[in-house]
Amino acid sequence: MAQVPNLDNAPINLTTIRDQSQKELITILKNIRGKKCLVIDPKLSGSLSLIVQSSQLKEHGAELRHLTAEPVETDCTKMVYLVRAQLNLMKFICSQIHNDTSKGLHREYFLYFVPRRAVACEKILEEEKVHELLTIGEYPLYFIPLDEDVLSFELDLAHKECVVNGDTTSLWHIAKAIHKLEFSFGTIQNVRAKGKASTRVADILNRMQAEEPVNTSDMGIPEINTLILLDREVDMVTPMCTQLTYEGLLDEFLGVNNGAVELDSSIMGVQQEGKKLKVPLNSSDKLFKEIRDMNFEIVVQVLRQKATSMKQDYTEISTTTQSVSELKDFVKKLNSLPEMTRHINLAQHLSTFTSKPSFLGRLDMEQTLVEAQSYDICFEYIEEMVHKQEPLINVLRLLVLFSITYSGLPKKNFDYLRRELLHSYGFEHIATLNNLEKAGLFKKQDSKSNWQTVKRALQLVVEDTDTTNPNDISYVFSGYAPLSIRLVQHAIRSGWRPIEEILKLLPGPHSETKKSGFASSPSFDTLPGSVNNSEKVAEGRRSLVLVVFIGGVTFAEISALRFLSSQEGMAYDVIVGTTKIVNGHTLIQTFVE
Amino acid sequence: MAGVSVAAEWQLLYNRYYRKPELYQMQWKHVDLTRNKVACAPFGGPIAAIRDDAKIVQLFAESALRKLRIFTSSGRLISETVWKNPGGRLIGMSWSDDQILVCITQDGTVYSYDIHAELINTFSLGKECFESSVVECVFWGNGVVCINEAFGIFAVPDFKNPRAVKLADCNLEDLPHCIAVIEPQYTMSGNVEVLLGVGDHVLLVEEDGVQQLGVGIGPLQKMVVSRTGKLLASFTHDGRLLVISTDFSNIIFEYTCEADENLRLIRSSLPEAVEACIDAAGYEFDISQQRTLLRAASYGQAFCSQFQREHIQEMCKTLRVLNAVRHHEIGIPLSIQQYKLLTPSVLINRLINAHNYLLALRISEYLGINRLKICKGISYAAVATHADKNGRRKLAAMLVEHEPHSSKQIPLLLSIGEEDTALVKAIESGDTDLVYLVLFHIWQKRPSLEFFGTIQARPLARDLFINYAQCYKHEFLKDFFLSTGQLQDVAFLLWKESWELAKNPMASKGSPLHGPRTEEHAKLLRIQHDLEVTTKQAIFVDSSISDTIRTCIVLGNHRAAMKVKTEFKVSEKRWYWLKVFALATIRDWDALEKFSKEKRPPIGYRPFVEACVDADEKGEALKYITKLADPRERAEAYARIGMAKEAADAASQAKDGELLGRLKLTFAQNAAASSIFDTLRDRLSFQGVS
Repeated sequence: MAQVPNLDNAPINLTTIRDQSQKELITILKNIRGKKCLVIDPKLSGSLSLIVQSSQLKEHGAELRHLTAEPVETDCTKMVYLVRAQLNLMKFICSQIHNDTSKGLHREYFLYFVPRRAVACEKILEEEKVHELLTIGEYPLYFIPLDEDVLSFELDLAHKECVVNGDTTSLWHIAKAIHKLEFSFGTIQNVRAKGKASTRVADILNRMQAEEPVNTSDMGIPEINTLILLDREVDMVTPMCTQLTYEGLLDEFLGVNNGAVELDSSIMGVQQEGKKLKVPLNSSDKLFKEIRDMNFEIVVQVLRQKATSMKQDYTEISTTTQSVSELKDFVKKLNSLPEMTRHINLAQHLSTFTSKPSFLGRLDMEQTLVEAQSYDICFEYIEEMVHKQEPLINVLRLLVLFSITYSGLPKKNFDYLRRELLHSYGFEHIATLNNLEKAGLFKKQDSKSNWQTVKRALQLVVEDTDTTNPNDISYVFSGYAPLSIRLVQHAIRSGWRPIEEILKLLPGPHSETKKSGFASSPSFDTLPGSVNNSEKVAEGRRSLVLVVFIGGVTFAEISALRFLSSQEGMAYDVIVGTTKIVNGHTLIQTFVE
Repeated sequence: MAGVSVAAEWQLLYNRYYRKPELYQMQWKHVDLTRNKVACAPFGGPIAAIRDDAKIVQLFAESALRKLRIFTSSGRLISETVWKNPGGRLIGMSWSDDQILVCITQDGTVYSYDIHAELINTFSLGKECFESSVVECVFWGNGVVCINEAFGIFAVPDFKNPRAVKLADCNLEDLPHCIAVIEPQYTMSGNVEVLLGVGDHVLLVEEDGVQQLGVGIGPLQKMVVSRTGKLLASFTHDGRLLVISTDFSNIIFEYTCEADENLRLIRSSLPEAVEACIDAAGYEFDISQQRTLLRAASYGQAFCSQFQREHIQEMCKTLRVLNAVRHHEIGIPLSIQQYKLLTPSVLINRLINAHNYLLALRISEYLGINRLKICKGISYAAVATHADKNGRRKLAAMLVEHEPHSSKQIPLLLSIGEEDTALVKAIESGDTDLVYLVLFHIWQKRPSLEFFGTIQARPLARDLFINYAQCYKHEFLKDFFLSTGQLQDVAFLLWKESWELAKNPMASKGSPLHGPRTEEHAKLLRIQHDLEVTTKQAIFVDSSISDTIRTCIVLGNHRAAMKVKTEFKVSEKRWYWLKVFALATIRDWDALEKFSKEKRPPIGYRPFVEACVDADEKGEALKYITKLADPRERAEAYARIGMAKEAADAASQAKDGELLGRLKLTFAQNAAASSIFDTLRDRLSFQGVS
């Protein structure tokens, strides 16, 4: 199975969009004739693996390298840099070119920015006197389909850049990506946003629609009805909790990167000493599609049932005489055996983590923190973690959860924990703690906490959650319903109005707009034959909601959304857009300097 | 016009009627098309003509100077210019989709003119065309393919990106009989494909390959590709007309394209007839005929109860626009279909481009298009630049205000010196790239202090500046913080710099104490430095206080550990955890026991239990479990080393039913957890599975 996921079952035609991106990249390579060295920045290269196979790039004469501070060793006379428009990467390129010049090497240099050229980057190239040596182009890749229903803008640092550095470049990028989608699928009529970044994106999107209207006349009915934008900042509680769905746990323990986990081959039952194995995880794997969103506890049961029934079939096949069609059925089932084996291996590996008392203790503590009714117990638990010098990120995850649910710590406790952290982990973490403070994630108490009110009003803690036959999204965290998805649930069902009072208790403003017909492109009103049909939804089609998380989304939240749309009486499909797939660990990591 | 003549205009061709109405009496004089090279733009666009220098001219019959002249479709001169370009003969001339006239000379130079005969761009097809003359070119809407004397084939795939690419070599020995081009938008590869009639077959040439097609089809004299790129009409040397699909998979002999005029008037159904009259009026070029048809429709409409009255009004509106632009003074003979394809906004744009401002304005008003947003094609930026050039800065500023594209508006504001407005607009647009653009502009133009003041007032600009300077221009950042009194930020910056310096081994050597850090941090570094000297081990610098304590204990240097503890007022709680874990690391169980007996541990014996359990020393752990005061903790500790009975006893002693239950469950779960997968494995261990 390839890592490039199959998108045939996507609710909108994502295949064409991906093919287009692929074609654009190949065209860039084709236009630079002959042999060339393609130097890609490593993060981007991971993302590109979901669009194009490296063999395809090699077919067009490209020798592949990663962009690092080190000079590239190659015989090619043409160097093609493909990089995200980031300042620090410019320094690498400059030093490589300087290195060539000092050695008297004459090469042709091409620089393609993803997704577009950036004045600040080019300024550095100018200052370093390499600008005139470069042929500069753009590769307008604004998002990547991770799966049938998930798009990623691949902006790993979006959240941190916005809340700590005040750099809102990612917001323009997100708006542009959505606007690009509108060119393919029509103008989205309903836009609901919550959070500072989200309302800003809605705003920028509006401007883009005015500057470059989507030609509605030859588009027909818009395919996406509603856009919901949500800041990660609105709900930082959820990602700090340990995800308990299968896919979520895989990410928590093994790290899912670009739709695959990498682990020792021995875990997958392949005996190759010390070799790493990449296991793709997407809907092309039928069994994975079936179990990815389930609570891990249930996944174990499901796998056991499947194994049992297969064993039974096998016994029958080998002991009794069977008709040909029965044999055929059995063989068909056998085809799913590699998938079964794969997930049994993975699940077994996961259970070595989940059965540890320390894991169960941690879950207990998360529960206590979310309930936010035993301050001292939580404080002492975290203090002890610091004293034991447990991994810093693990500590910070709980600390952030603690700080949010209590709306900060009393000054005395705050100062104390800060000092203990610096003493235990080193003074270099001053920067990390400052970042967290700036982002409001670990701070001094400045007001009374709203958490209890929000928790109660939105029923975030659900007693007696049935993880086997769930009737609520709380199954993904075994009893805690993710705040973010509760908000989405309301936004889809009835808009913001009924929960406005609650929204006011959460960070950032909210907005709700409804677009009317063709207002954005006056010149087309005059053409005969244009009828205002934008509000209609084609017969028999489920309406489509695009939910965009600015600052990242966890697998468990995606699972909760899938659960919602699969519920009876919910006549909509959901597509998730996110700056990046995150978990508590990766999210905190962005704040660590 | 009499009814008879109307019918007589129509001719039957296969199963369709056609007619060829004369639209204009050409207004030009002394233009002999046979002696000129001519390029006509589609969609009723302009006509360019220039004397064909391949044809003989009678001496003194006309000026020796050649003029490039541009006419409207009705033959009214729009502009002219003397052709004095070097480069040999003019080989090809054609209008692009943007109504740019592209001319190619023998030496491979490409000249682009606008409709006012102003040269707007020049570029070369490259060295090979310069050395071996271009002999023929074939254009399409946005590009061109040329062949030179050396039979090399070159393509400019997109005039907007004026660069020639050489196509694959097809080893020709002679010029092809004929050439046709399939536009990039219709090919599978997305690149241009060239068809060459060579010998008795056709060669399909691309950037990276040549294919032979239609072998045996016979020498072709002429080929034309259909508008959709799917079909090819060709004329063979023996006088046959062939229509072939462009992949040469099958031959289609008959192909008709243009549809219709309505002759359904005779039908009995009245609404349909009315509809037909309106449609027919739309297709009609003759104004009196339009009138006749519309009057008939209007008459008939009165007898139809269910009729879309808007239709007739709409048609009247459209026809008034069409008739206005078809007028011979304007000379754009668009058909209604072309008009719909072109869209009103593009038409208005073309009128403006041809300096027909008044008509453009009237039409936009008539169609109810906002006068200030006439259409997306109009660039206020361009108008404003012009105003500014003529010294009318205020007008320019007003016009810029109307430019909807921030990416055009902001550079313009900068060019007319409105930096502050530009900054505000850039920030509003949400496009950080534009903010950077303004930022660098102001930075360059104004003295640092003034620049700092400007950005300090605008958070986004300030933050972007800080980000840039942090990455590239550190010294400016310090100046900025100092000038705006952000001393804490300066301190933090210097602190960070010193860290980076320390990380660099070259810089840190010799001066580990250099650089301003927090007082505490400086003290730690001093102690660590001393420790490295006394222990002769470079393992202390840059580790944390807790790490330093642990390392000292592991090295057996308890006095040093104690010193660090006192220096930094390390709490007893942390001290106990650190020392217990350090002793367990070196498995010094005696020292650990001694430590436990020093005094009553301030956080009880749990750290001792944990350290021993983690080190898998059950015997050692038991020593401390019994000392745990809380029966609950005791129960859990027993459980961790697998002593189920003791755990249960302790739990019942605590009279905590819930704990008891939980422990039982833990045991059950652990057992289950380990066995579940073994059973799974067993069940799957039949043939074929590993």
